[in-house]
Amino acid sequence: MVEVTSALRAIGLREQFAAIAQLRWKIFLHSLRTVRGRMEMISWIFIGFGYSVMAIGGTIGLAALTWLLVSHNQEEWLAVPLWLIFLVWQLLPVMATAFTENFDASNFLRFPLSYRSYFMIRMAYGALDPTTIIGCLWLAGMALGAGIAAPSLFLWAAIVLAAFAALNILLGRMIFSWLERWLARRKSREILLLFFFLFIIGVQFINPLMQVYLHRYGRLHGPPSFALATQLVAVQTFLPPGLASSAVSLSAQSRFTLAFGALALLCAYSAAFLALLNIRLVAQYRGENLSEAPAPAVTRKGKDSVSAGWDLGGGLSGAVAAVFEKDFHYLSRSGPMLFPLVMPVVILVIFRFSMINARHGSNFIQDHAGLAFPIGAAYALLILSSISYNCFGAEGAGVQLYYMSPVHFREVLLAKNLATGTILLFEMILVWGAVALLYGPPSPGMTFATITGVLFAALTSCTVGNLMSLYSPKKIDWAAFGRQRASGLTALAVLGVQAGTMGFAFIAVVAALYFHRTWPATLILLIFAAGALWLYNFVLGRIDAVALSRRESLLTEVCRAS
Amino acid sequence: MDAPAIATEHLTRRFGQLVAVDDVNLRVAPGQFFGFLGPNGAGKSTTIKMLTGLLAPTGGRMEILGVDLARNPVEVKRQIGVVPEGMALFGRLTGAEYLTFAARMYGLDRQTAAKRTAELLEFMDLANQPKALVADYSHGMQKKLALAAAVIHGPKILFLDEPFEGVDAIASGTLKAMLQRMIARGATIFLTSHVLEIVERLCSHVGIIHKGRLVAQGSLEELRAGVQANAAADSAGAPVGEKLTLEEIFLRIVGGERAADQELSWLK
Repeated sequence: MVEVTSALRAIGLREQFAAIAQLRWKIFLHSLRTVRGRMEMISWIFIGFGYSVMAIGGTIGLAALTWLLVSHNQEEWLAVPLWLIFLVWQLLPVMATAFTENFDASNFLRFPLSYRSYFMIRMAYGALDPTTIIGCLWLAGMALGAGIAAPSLFLWAAIVLAAFAALNILLGRMIFSWLERWLARRKSREILLLFFFLFIIGVQFINPLMQVYLHRYGRLHGPPSFALATQLVAVQTFLPPGLASSAVSLSAQSRFTLAFGALALLCAYSAAFLALLNIRLVAQYRGENLSEAPAPAVTRKGKDSVSAGWDLGGGLSGAVAAVFEKDFHYLSRSGPMLFPLVMPVVILVIFRFSMINARHGSNFIQDHAGLAFPIGAAYALLILSSISYNCFGAEGAGVQLYYMSPVHFREVLLAKNLATGTILLFEMILVWGAVALLYGPPSPGMTFATITGVLFAALTSCTVGNLMSLYSPKKIDWAAFGRQRASGLTALAVLGVQAGTMGFAFIAVVAALYFHRTWPATLILLIFAAGALWLYNFVLGRIDAVALSRRESLLTEVCRAS
Repeated sequence: MDAPAIATEHLTRRFGQLVAVDDVNLRVAPGQFFGFLGPNGAGKSTTIKMLTGLLAPTGGRMEILGVDLARNPVEVKRQIGVVPEGMALFGRLTGAEYLTFAARMYGLDRQTAAKRTAELLEFMDLANQPKALVADYSHGMQKKLALAAAVIHGPKILFLDEPFEGVDAIASGTLKAMLQRMIARGATIFLTSHVLEIVERLCSHVGIIHKGRLVAQGSLEELRAGVQANAAADSAGAPVGEKLTLEEIFLRIVGGERAADQELSWLK
């Protein structure tokens, strides 16, 4: 035993980091062994290109902007790009969480890691986030821009911006670690996600409400934007981007004590975030158990009758009805899937706000209010595509039952498509009602054209979605927020189908404009829909063979442990 | 003579260079309680996945109740019930919803599905939490629910992959009672387990797979006699006439007794 202990003592932080880095590298290499892995890699090159453009373009742009502001002694305006960076840094990982892959570092806790090592590992994985890299590059660009404009300011600006970068990293890590804590249990997860969607909806209203406020304020007290900006500037000065901006601008004005004060306050924010992060990591390090607790036993008060299940009629088999019913139960119990369904109506309300604000000027929606129904319907379709393109992702081990039971896979997918179609129908009715209420009833011509257009797009989406669900499935685990990665292949397929559908729809729009009538568009879209229906049937008729050929990869991916 | 409940001919499954199941010829007669044993990685789960349609073989044939699984998978699946490795549960359904769902997937009408669901929930002692979701069930409750879903359509053959893993004594008793009822009504059970005491108590016949190859197959008495005959021939191991336990038989067949003699240089 003596030899074992002495060997353990010899293990240092560097060896552990090297081992983990090697592990990540090997996982990446092994992921390229399969065709799907290589395809994913290609899709990530495309997505990575987008990120690269964002990083390089942003760095150059921000360096130029900083140079301009510092050259003209307008350093206080640095708060604007710093707020932009702050918002991108903190919000992009939440919005595009699926495009990052963060290994669950708590898996390493079984090894003899010191808390320091564990903390460093958690931080190192944060640094691999694309937004962190982009954010750091942007800040480096700003420091460079400041240095070129005023070389004496470079060192101080670099220190302040480095502190700002550290704050962003700590804040991001802190938010994710607490989110994971709350998302680990189903009930807290549902509540948190409700707040998240309310926040997202709330953000959409900021601009229209601000316009309403400015309009009213302007009529009462003169120049409105100045008054509001003054209030906002006063508040933002005490927040991290404002503090970083103040630290640089005060130093440029040779007010060094105040500049140090601003930096100290910035560091105090970082210390607070670090403390909050530390609470989470210590709890993880000590081995907290966040698994779902079994429900407490309930004393029975009489026998509950078991529901016989739904009957869809129309010659549809019991299996189709069962999967259809199951999908509705899943939807009704899943906040993340349910909340986005209200978004089309929210968008219409936002557009309505924009119309009110633009009463005295020109506004697209005001000029084209007749397009509100197709816009709302297209948005509903877009939201549902996230379900169609990975329809087994949230089913976990249950997906095995489809292969074990005497059911053809086409029945399973037909049921899932019918469920999606029913939700879409409900959404369309909701959108039509909202449009009628907010903008006045859409014309019959526009209603029919929209319905045929949605029919065409929905059938195309279901056809491609069925194939992508089998060829490129991705397990969805709502409890592992921020540690999941969407299929890049599916993301590209969604973009491709959307571009293709819009291209076809454009033909119909051109026809409508040419004839100054909606019926030619309806007719063209109806023909497209008939073609899409034929294609849907064709693919569905062959889907059993695809499902059999893809069963190993589907079961491995969807049934894997989180 | 009845067709065997399960018959495989040269069943093979390769994963790249690895041969996980190698030329397995298995025969299980109707009504047998068959224990399928093997060390970790021997090919037990791979075999059961192939027999239940969850994995395609790379070679050989499989017949279930005389029906070719590759040619008529739907017909075969109507006759079998499965509790696979991951239990195949839908976490966001209640126990009752899951059972009615499974019943309808196996072709039962709505009324029969509801009736059997109620009976099974009662039998498995799961009826007292009607509103609880499957995801909130304990591991033992999930195992019981998975077994209930596998038997709800009255299958002729039941495939169980590690049904007693992580199950407490109370839940284990319920599962065993259910399995014995199935055998009493003429069903065939094909079970993998690492708990050899349970296999010895429940199973009438045993197959042992090692490194992908079926190395032994027969009743417990036949295996015991075979091992003792080999031991006598080698003049090693247990003396002839001593009644070997299944664990001893298993270790002698797969060569596990060597592990006890091996030593690690740094743990002397």
